[in-house]
Amino acid sequence: MARYECDVLIVGGGITAAMVSQKLSELKPHLNIIVVEAGTRLFDFENRFDHRQRSLDYGENQWPGDFVADQGGTGIVSRSMAVGGSALHFGGVCNRYSEEDTRLKSMFGLAVDWPIEWKDLEKHYCEAERRIGVSGEPSPLKQDARSEPYPMPPMNMTYNLIQLKSWAEKSGIPFWTTPQAKNTVEGYNGRSRCHRCNTCEVCPTGARYSPDFTYKQLLDAKKIQLHDGTLVRKLVLDDKTTRIVAAQAVKEDGSDDNVEYRAKTFVVASGYCWSSHLLLLSANPRFPNGLANSSDHVGRYMTGHLAHETHIDLDLKIYPGMNEQHSLISRQFFRCAPDKPYVRHDLRVWEAASGRPRLRDSNGKLLLGDEIVSDWRTRIVRGAARVRGYFDAHPDKESRLTLNPANKNKWGDPLPAIRHVTDAATQARSASTLQHFTDLFAQLAKANDGKAGRISSLGYQDHPAGGCRMGADPATSVVDSYGRAHDHQNLFVVGSPTQPTGGCTNGTLTFVALALRSTTEIAKVA
Amino acid sequence: MRRRTLLKSVAALAVAPALPAVDLFGQSGTLTDAQIATLRAIAEVVLPSALSSSDRNDVVDKFASWIHNYKAGADRGHSYGDSRLSPPTGASPAGRYPDQFAALDAAAKAQGAASLASLPKDKRRIVIEAALNTPQPLNNLPARPTGANLVADFMGLYFNSADATDLAYDRAIGRDTCRGLDGSEKEPDRLRTGGH
Repeated sequence: MARYECDVLIVGGGITAAMVSQKLSELKPHLNIIVVEAGTRLFDFENRFDHRQRSLDYGENQWPGDFVADQGGTGIVSRSMAVGGSALHFGGVCNRYSEEDTRLKSMFGLAVDWPIEWKDLEKHYCEAERRIGVSGEPSPLKQDARSEPYPMPPMNMTYNLIQLKSWAEKSGIPFWTTPQAKNTVEGYNGRSRCHRCNTCEVCPTGARYSPDFTYKQLLDAKKIQLHDGTLVRKLVLDDKTTRIVAAQAVKEDGSDDNVEYRAKTFVVASGYCWSSHLLLLSANPRFPNGLANSSDHVGRYMTGHLAHETHIDLDLKIYPGMNEQHSLISRQFFRCAPDKPYVRHDLRVWEAASGRPRLRDSNGKLLLGDEIVSDWRTRIVRGAARVRGYFDAHPDKESRLTLNPANKNKWGDPLPAIRHVTDAATQARSASTLQHFTDLFAQLAKANDGKAGRISSLGYQDHPAGGCRMGADPATSVVDSYGRAHDHQNLFVVGSPTQPTGGCTNGTLTFVALALRSTTEIAKVA
Repeated sequence: MRRRTLLKSVAALAVAPALPAVDLFGQSGTLTDAQIATLRAIAEVVLPSALSSSDRNDVVDKFASWIHNYKAGADRGHSYGDSRLSPPTGASPAGRYPDQFAALDAAAKAQGAASLASLPKDKRRIVIEAALNTPQPLNNLPARPTGANLVADFMGLYFNSADATDLAYDRAIGRDTCRGLDGSEKEPDRLRTGGH
């Protein structure tokens, strides 16, 4: 069995691990840091144009091999398992939460407060934006005040977005462009300016941030060791104390070799699913419910947010495909008036296609050649917008990740099962939330002789988080505000798992900001 | 007329079992010259008239290239929000085309022509419509070729393309092209050819 010793072992190779290892190597340049990732490294940037084209032409994986075949689960379990994690695929949207997200209990009597002051989190948002490289347009709302400007100017609005902004603001709601982890200037962090390839899930030019860039920089500078293709199966407790002393792993490269890591500090950066999973798998006689789990809160309060969406037919000429990922946002509804039914949400507007080519017209007549084009043109005289709002969906205690003994990987380890359950208050307001969106979409449509279509609702919790929620009370939380396990002095959990609630907008920037805040504390003890 | 014969011929292709591509196209999955000629004859009927003969040939070449470069068993990854891996790509659609090419030619022969390509355009349309209506009328263009219907696959590949979108809008949108940010605030230019 191979054995390695290091100062800090980081389990997981996604975006939070990238940020933690980068910052840690700056704060403590002489630390021996090992990052262990179950998936492989996909450092073939030179092939990304080809992967993009194969994806467009054949529907092939944009990131070939970015998964481990038998590391799945039930419920919302992202299959991305490679160096870079889910952020390999992310569209680059870097919205912040708002102060309300951290004060739900004290402001609204809902869910819990986060054990973090907003000013503190805001400072780390700025750091996250600098490290990732975010281009953005400041919100005009005073509640969204920033302590630093965005690192890069906003991406310019396409013709479509200019039209849509003009339309949407007739409703009286202010809109601006969504901040994104995409370069709008050449050379930021050594990457190119956006070329508007329209395939942000795999950016062939490197303009959209992806964690593999950070890992490559760290490896080139010999700041970290990266052990990919290595699945950590268990954390091992010291015989006499509550310190973690080792991580047991196995190579996923076909050799099936066992590996043991010994470290002074352990950082679990395995995302919302695999962090809780590893702690539960690491049960031992002194912690029979899993490590860090004397409170029985590991795997609980799995969270995220839900969404309502519609397409609105508009009296506008929209040209779908100009920059489909770029959108407008309003944060007006991040705040909720105390005299109104509680609903908090973001509001996004995208260009959309109002018509697609079809083989038969509405009467069933077969169309060929010019007939198809003529029919198509009659349906695109007016434009369309896709409008969506992510809204608060607070987790119940029974919103859980558990180990599923009926579903095991090839090593015999039970795989995760996630069942999201919203709390009673969220369920009680679901009808009023839907009514709010119905009225809001109608208000938007009416602003320009439009017509809102059927409302569709997201069938799962997006941007999932939770499972190791932070809090000041060890009886009701897993980690403190820095991600340090209440039960184990040298064990940290960072990023999305620590969130008590999932906010009402994209989560990646918050996951990173929290992880960067944790890193300062990790550096003090490492 | 020999419509019954035509339908019978075309029906034969719809029930033809899927055959492995390598047996019919060789390892390269390359279309034969005769098949290319048939596709060009189809193109003249099913593609917009705004496309020149050269443009149509380009569409045929793209279809042939798509077939040639298809990889069976390729990783299709995983969908966002889905815990399951997508199954890998299946056998090449090309394996199901030879019988369909043959059926189209048989239908043309039933009308006294040597092949589909040698039929007058109006009669070619009848054969092509029959292929899209038999045995069940097709209602949708496939997002990508599937092998189920050669003509629909060919049409789908074109009409779902960025070029077709540009033609429909009569604008150089360039959906799948890396175009840079500069100038994107302007309405896309009109196409130099084509148009309403």
